[in-house]
Amino acid sequence: MKPPAAGYTLGMQQSFLLAFCGVVVLWLGGCGFESEPEALESGELRFVSGAPIDTLDPQGTSWLIDFRVIECLFEPLLQVNPETLELEPAAAAALPTVSEDGRVYTFTIRPEARWSNGDPVVASDYVYGWRRALLPDFAADYAGLFFCIEGAEAFFTWRGQQLAGFGESGGSAQSLWDRTQTRFAETVGIEAVDDRTIRVRLREPTAYFKELVAFAAFMPIHEASAESFLSLDDRTGVLTTRSAYFAEPENLVGNGPYRLTEWTFKRRMILDQNPHYWNREAMGNQRIVMEVNSDEGNALLNYRQGRYDWFPNVSTSSAQAPDLIASGQADVHTGPAAGTVFYIFNCRPTVGGKPNPLADPRVRRAFSMAIDRDLIVNSVTRLREPTATTIVPVGSIPGYDPPEEVLPGFDPVAARALLAEAGYPGGEGLTGLTALFNTEAPHDKLAAALANMWKTHLGVTVQLEGVEKSAFRSRRKNGGFTIARGNWFGDYRDPTTFLDLFRSNDGNNDAAYQNPAYDAKLAEAAKELDPAVRFGLLREAEAIMLADAPIVPLHQAINLELFDPERVRTLYPNAWNYRRLSAIRVAAPAESP
Amino acid sequence: MGTLIFRRLLQLPLILGVVFAVTFTLVWVLPGNPLDRGEGRRLSPEVEQAMRARYNLDSPGRFVVEYARGAVVGDFGPSLQYKGQQVRDIIAAGLPVSASLGAAALGVAVLLGTVAGVMGALRPGSPLDSASLGLTLLGISLPNFVTGTVLLVVFAGLLRWVPVGGWSSPQDMVLPAVTLGLAPAAYIARLIRLGLADIMASDYLRTARAKGLSHSGALFRHALKVAYLPVLSFLGPAAASVMTGSFVVEKVFNIPGIGEYFVYSVLNKDQFLILGIVLVYATLLVVFNLLVDVAYAWLDPRIEL
Repeated sequence: MKPPAAGYTLGMQQSFLLAFCGVVVLWLGGCGFESEPEALESGELRFVSGAPIDTLDPQGTSWLIDFRVIECLFEPLLQVNPETLELEPAAAAALPTVSEDGRVYTFTIRPEARWSNGDPVVASDYVYGWRRALLPDFAADYAGLFFCIEGAEAFFTWRGQQLAGFGESGGSAQSLWDRTQTRFAETVGIEAVDDRTIRVRLREPTAYFKELVAFAAFMPIHEASAESFLSLDDRTGVLTTRSAYFAEPENLVGNGPYRLTEWTFKRRMILDQNPHYWNREAMGNQRIVMEVNSDEGNALLNYRQGRYDWFPNVSTSSAQAPDLIASGQADVHTGPAAGTVFYIFNCRPTVGGKPNPLADPRVRRAFSMAIDRDLIVNSVTRLREPTATTIVPVGSIPGYDPPEEVLPGFDPVAARALLAEAGYPGGEGLTGLTALFNTEAPHDKLAAALANMWKTHLGVTVQLEGVEKSAFRSRRKNGGFTIARGNWFGDYRDPTTFLDLFRSNDGNNDAAYQNPAYDAKLAEAAKELDPAVRFGLLREAEAIMLADAPIVPLHQAINLELFDPERVRTLYPNAWNYRRLSAIRVAAPAESP
Repeated sequence: MGTLIFRRLLQLPLILGVVFAVTFTLVWVLPGNPLDRGEGRRLSPEVEQAMRARYNLDSPGRFVVEYARGAVVGDFGPSLQYKGQQVRDIIAAGLPVSASLGAAALGVAVLLGTVAGVMGALRPGSPLDSASLGLTLLGISLPNFVTGTVLLVVFAGLLRWVPVGGWSSPQDMVLPAVTLGLAPAAYIARLIRLGLADIMASDYLRTARAKGLSHSGALFRHALKVAYLPVLSFLGPAAASVMTGSFVVEKVFNIPGIGEYFVYSVLNKDQFLILGIVLVYATLLVVFNLLVDVAYAWLDPRIEL
């Protein structure tokens, strides 16, 4: 007689068989393992990036980590030397000649400059790259940096309006594109005079234009190869570069020291020396391997085991940061960054339909004076950052001396008096205030510390409100806050990279701060040719703004990076994160006993 | 059986359609701006308008139609957050990694779970049983990030038996698979242990024991197979969930899977990526449930489908 359980016996085996088959099928499908790149004997730099590279399109990003690699693949006309912090000619043969009125810059490209496919670098490649930044189609984060060029802003706005109204216009995308190209050539002051000469006409003398040209958004694009990856959307008229151009090693043509060898999104990127690069003798390594590791703890463990030569930009909000800095180890490099951490006050007369007590500058100043910045950097962030009472970080811009005397330091007695003068003695009547911050990083401690100081020294209760980052940003942008966290990092070495933030009509002026005297000072400085006088005017402007206290600066941001100076040489940490990866020399690992 | 598979496959598009509709609605009402760039500079209004038109973000109707049209052929559009990346490429790069890790974790779960469950049932009430209960409770209660970090620090950091995360060889799979497999292993152990206790008390096993079969003989030869049925129904959704990655485990071990997109795509309001990930997940869930049903029918012919 057949035992009743016979079917089940088979079933058990089947179930394991089934599971086994499933596993095998999946494994055959590939586990997605990626073998280690073969290590070079020497001349290789391995570093870790905390986030994946999004794009290698120089005009398509605003991320530091993207720019770091873009600067390896492309070369601008000028570059800042990370060691001396001086501007130097890069693809240009020399620094540009500047006209008497400071409005016309002429650059000459060095004759030996080559693209990675061997083509000579020509002036029109720069015009082509810069034009991309000015086409709203590509949504360049840094289009605004080009607006100092004559006709650039008007062209950008015009194209934007044409695209916005494209659906109703009934015209073809191609004809709009043809008209756009003509308009650019006729109205924008960027011109390829001949193959090696670029002439730029500026709207007004822009003292820091050379600094801008050294910025990664000012990279050239190899017109001949990029052109075949353009596609024009018939419905919207929008032009795009197909993503394969900047993503596939066989498509991307660059003029920098390296060419792209391999890129696996979210994993790693390998760059090898560009055989056509004009200045290969000056290079300190032949290959760069960048690995992505989004977990700080894991990355640190890997770094400690010698997997990476260099750990740039360790997050200062990570749990390890204070201990790393306190450890004083030789491979921990820290220093002030060109950025300021602050809290913003909403300056609008009403918020959410109610009168806004912070519209009164006296209240804002009182709030600022009730803050003990030393306590914040020593006990809250525990990173001992330089405290700040100005928006432009002290010492970040050569020759510029921010007005540190304007915003008084910690003075609770004066703060209470000022608050009483504004009509809120002992904080009475000051209600409905909240400190808004984003929650994806631990910003709550700082917010709590500030709220505590305001409660203790002013008697004002400020509620904490942590929201996720997109809600945070949209509320900050739309004025849906009373007090909010903020920070700003400079893009180029000029005070305006910070001060423009408080122009009445600036898109990033979340405080809605408006002071015609401030705008007038900035406008006056923009026309000034003498650098010292100009900095004087900017200093006055900053003093006007700080006296009104639309923000309360707390401390400077800091950079934190790890590398063994004995092994990784010619790497010079600096506030602006100027890097020249091609110059970094990595000594072979020391013989271990 | 054939009809079952055919019927389920017919339902698949319907289920995906509903999932798509619900997800789309939720995504559309999410606060925040998908074109926003983290700490980057803001887009000018003109650019933003052009981009909204380009990606159909200005018209929910057109977005649904265009997205669905692409999704049918596996094109989920561009990622708004990872500018320059296609959602299809992002998923294609990460899914095999997450899936193979998930498969390994499932193997760990079944193996550990069965062993622990049977150990407990062998001598009910014995110290072995208490140990099995204790271990499973620990497995269920300890969060991934704790077990993961402890394993990483001990076996990769101190002992250096395995690499510190990454994804370049099968060795890299060991720790994350154990971490990811522990919680399901604990569930499986409990299911088996409780199932076995019930079944061992049933009449037909008492008869078998009366006829001279030993306790362990009855357990292994008869009871275990029946006790496995609830495990099987647990394995379907568990497989879909571990094979689509785990945010925590992939982060702790630096594994380039798709787990983190479940979190970041929503935080970044990256509509294209959210929908792509959810559709892939839903498809896997339906397929694994189908597999479980098929296996059920195969294992236990009494079950009508």
